[in-house]
Amino acid sequence: MTQHKKVTKKVQIALGLATAGLFLGACGSSKSATEASVAVTETTVMAADCPAADIVDAAKAEGQVNLITLPDTWANYKGILASYRDKYGIKDPVANPDGSSADELTAVETLAGQPDMPDAVDVSPAFAQEFDTKGHWEPYQPCLWDEIPTTLKDPAGNWVAAYYGLMAIGVNTTVVTEVPKSFADLKDPKYKGLVAINGDPRQSGAAFAAVMAAAIANGGSFDDILPGIKYFAELKKSGNLSASDVTAASVISGETPLVLDWTYNYPGLAPTLAENNITFQVAVPTDGVYGGYYAQGVVKNSPHQNAAKLWIDHLISDEGALGYIVGGAIPARFDALVAAGKVTPEMMANLPDPALIKDIKFPSAEQVAKAKEVLTAQWGPLVADK
Amino acid sequence: MNITVWSGRGSLSERAPLGFLQRVRPWFGVSPFAIFVGIFLLWPSFSVFRSALQPAEGSSKPAMLEAISGQYLSSILFSMRMSAITATLGMVIGTLVAIAVVSLDRMRGLRNLMVGYSAVAANLGGIPLAFAFIASLGMQGLYTKILSAFGINLSDMGFKISDFSGIVIVYLYFQIPLMTLVMLPAVDGLKSTLREAASNLGASSRQYWKSIGIPLLTPSLLGGFLLLFANAFSAYATAFALSAGGSRLVSVQIRFYLQGNTITGKSNLGYALAAWMIIVMVVAMSGYLGLRRVSERWRR
Amino acid sequence: MKRNNVWAKILLFTVGAFYVLPMLAMARFSFQRVPVIKLGWSTLLKNWTFEPMFDAVTSDRFLEAGWLSVRLAILSVLLSLLILVPTTVYVHVRLMKARAFVELLSILPFVVPPIALVVGISSAMRSTIPSFLSSPFSLVPFYVVIALPFSFRSLDVGLSSIDLKTLVEASRSLGAGWLRTVRSVILPNLKVGVVNASFLTFAVVLGEFTIASLLLKFTLPAYMAEAQGNNPQGTFTVGLLLLVVSALLLGVMNRITRGKSQIVSTIGI
Repeated sequence: MTQHKKVTKKVQIALGLATAGLFLGACGSSKSATEASVAVTETTVMAADCPAADIVDAAKAEGQVNLITLPDTWANYKGILASYRDKYGIKDPVANPDGSSADELTAVETLAGQPDMPDAVDVSPAFAQEFDTKGHWEPYQPCLWDEIPTTLKDPAGNWVAAYYGLMAIGVNTTVVTEVPKSFADLKDPKYKGLVAINGDPRQSGAAFAAVMAAAIANGGSFDDILPGIKYFAELKKSGNLSASDVTAASVISGETPLVLDWTYNYPGLAPTLAENNITFQVAVPTDGVYGGYYAQGVVKNSPHQNAAKLWIDHLISDEGALGYIVGGAIPARFDALVAAGKVTPEMMANLPDPALIKDIKFPSAEQVAKAKEVLTAQWGPLVADK
Repeated sequence: MNITVWSGRGSLSERAPLGFLQRVRPWFGVSPFAIFVGIFLLWPSFSVFRSALQPAEGSSKPAMLEAISGQYLSSILFSMRMSAITATLGMVIGTLVAIAVVSLDRMRGLRNLMVGYSAVAANLGGIPLAFAFIASLGMQGLYTKILSAFGINLSDMGFKISDFSGIVIVYLYFQIPLMTLVMLPAVDGLKSTLREAASNLGASSRQYWKSIGIPLLTPSLLGGFLLLFANAFSAYATAFALSAGGSRLVSVQIRFYLQGNTITGKSNLGYALAAWMIIVMVVAMSGYLGLRRVSERWRR
Repeated sequence: MKRNNVWAKILLFTVGAFYVLPMLAMARFSFQRVPVIKLGWSTLLKNWTFEPMFDAVTSDRFLEAGWLSVRLAILSVLLSLLILVPTTVYVHVRLMKARAFVELLSILPFVVPPIALVVGISSAMRSTIPSFLSSPFSLVPFYVVIALPFSFRSLDVGLSSIDLKTLVEASRSLGAGWLRTVRSVILPNLKVGVVNASFLTFAVVLGEFTIASLLLKFTLPAYMAEAQGNNPQGTFTVGLLLLVVSALLLGVMNRITRGKSQIVSTIGI
């Protein structure tokens, strides 16, 4: 526990034993109604000290946080960056927004010790592991650490998963009138040349997730990605799989009307789609539900440590969480926010069905590593090279 | 034909033989250039080889060996094939364009236009070019739609812009102008007097080209082919933007290991693929230099 | 010759159409907010707008990236000329034997694909001179290297067409000092080559993406990659604008360097 936590605890105990008792009970367990209401009180009490005042002051003194690879249209980072800037007056420039997790690692290593070294990163789980192995994480537990479910944070306190999403089928209904609801539907000949994944799964996290989701839909599991690879091999053979890369332009032009991508990648396109009079629908496939998260953390020895810590706090805080919801991503503290009544029905519309959200499980690091081995060996020969 | 007067040469042999230091000293004049290239090109390249000789994670053999086996070997061969095809087509069409431009001697404006646009198009590539073709001939392309209004349905004919043939067409967009730019000075140099002389002696157009035109152009043709091959081989932005069809290219695959989101720990494999790309190019370059020496000897 | 003209014209027309048509399709996509599937006679004239273009061109990000790219291009041209002009002149005047060596060095950048160069740069220089890589202007020497095959060739072709060595010797033996010789003999023959080399280097720099993006520099191509996520149509209008502007610049350059060796003689290999 960090020092900050101890202070808060003292405050709690000073308020009253009953509250303290309930607080200790609420700590680290999943939320029930009564506990949630205590959590609300606790949050309001903690809000005064969360994020810690000394961190805020030190961050403001630093004046800037170097961020990297946060596209505007990805989970509404545009809005979240703006809310951070507005709330604290700290600059948050984003380098290489369209880069990959590997680019982030390269940047951290290439620019080590330089003023433009990234302070905080947002990487795929595989790279969160790489960062750990290479010792690039600065462990930091944001003030609302206890409200984050165990599956969405690193036990050693290196990173948090501030948001996650589901793999979903995005349909350009201006081009495709009959909306497919499942992976099985996508095999229909009427969708010839129309199904696209967001890149090559050996490179793109979203495409990798699509293959995993397809595996689940076709008798595989987190441990067995091969059915997913075979599914896409079949799609390619029948001609349903489009070879075009999915970009904003390809979605708008209608070149890729059926897209398999994270739920949080769609809302960002909404304004441009509307301008072009294109109607769009997003649906989680019924036969393959797959969730994925990204990990955020502070980089060791970076130039603006406090601003970076404040950034992580911001992502977990209510403003950050609501920002993610607007972007179609499910924030880590989703349950707490819903219980506190902070999520309006309009915001809920951006997210997938709550029933699905409840059932999300994430693969473990070992399962992902094994799946990638199989993918690297088999995707080329079975799918890409055919 | 250059009638060079190497006035120096005759007198050289009459001078006393120079000492070693005296011969080496003039070479210091090119050392700034050599050092510059050494630091900013050779040093990074050696680094690539150094990393490539180590094994990738989860493997015991050096990455260099792994990168030349199985699916990686087929990627390298695929890239070479693609580059050779686009280079050949580009060479032929580009040269014809150069010849056409030169023969339309009177229409200077047209020549300027073609040359100007060629210089720009030769540097085009990546996302804008890929998208321009997707917007033209993709599933929802403008011309796809226009053609289907005339009853020509491209997807029924099995054509996809992101297939092999599609990528070749897109690559030609910058290969052809590059070749044109290379060949224009050479075609310009084919003096019209030679042509007239040939026809005066009774040679047909075909004989002219076969015995005079093409041999004279050969050094430039070879150089152009090599340039186009190198250009296509290293290109990845365009193929990347056209995605799946391009993911069989080595240049795109290097990204999987060095710039991806999913695969970790195999960066040495990426370096190894890059190292093999360099080796392929060195071999091609040597071949070119050798062939050029032979053809230039003929020229003299 | 007359019969030739017919096939020449047909060929040029076909190739010209091949060049222009895709750009027209991209322009239609960028300027008209109607998806192709809804495009028909009735919607042909609807929803044409300059709005995406204005948004892109007036955005801070575009101006920032454009300004960096222009500065990098200018510096690359200057560094290029600074290194190459003395070298080529020296070779032609003093040491023709070195020409093959210099030419080989100038073709080497082709041998190393940009993506390989990038990974090499990162791994080589990361541990030894990291602060160098931090500056945006660290791209300049690498851009000079990438443009070498073109820039060296431009300068070399210009000087090869005349026997510079003899002319210089003649000039010197007629009593002209070095300064005079440089001014009257060497420089005029360099003029066209310098102009061509500069333009080609400029074009290469403006279009280079790989190295810039890996070293986290925000250049024009990096802007295009970023902006195409939230304003795809605007981004492509910027691309088209660059295309038109470059083509015009080239036309102007062509007119200025009138004479036998035009822009044409740029890459005579």
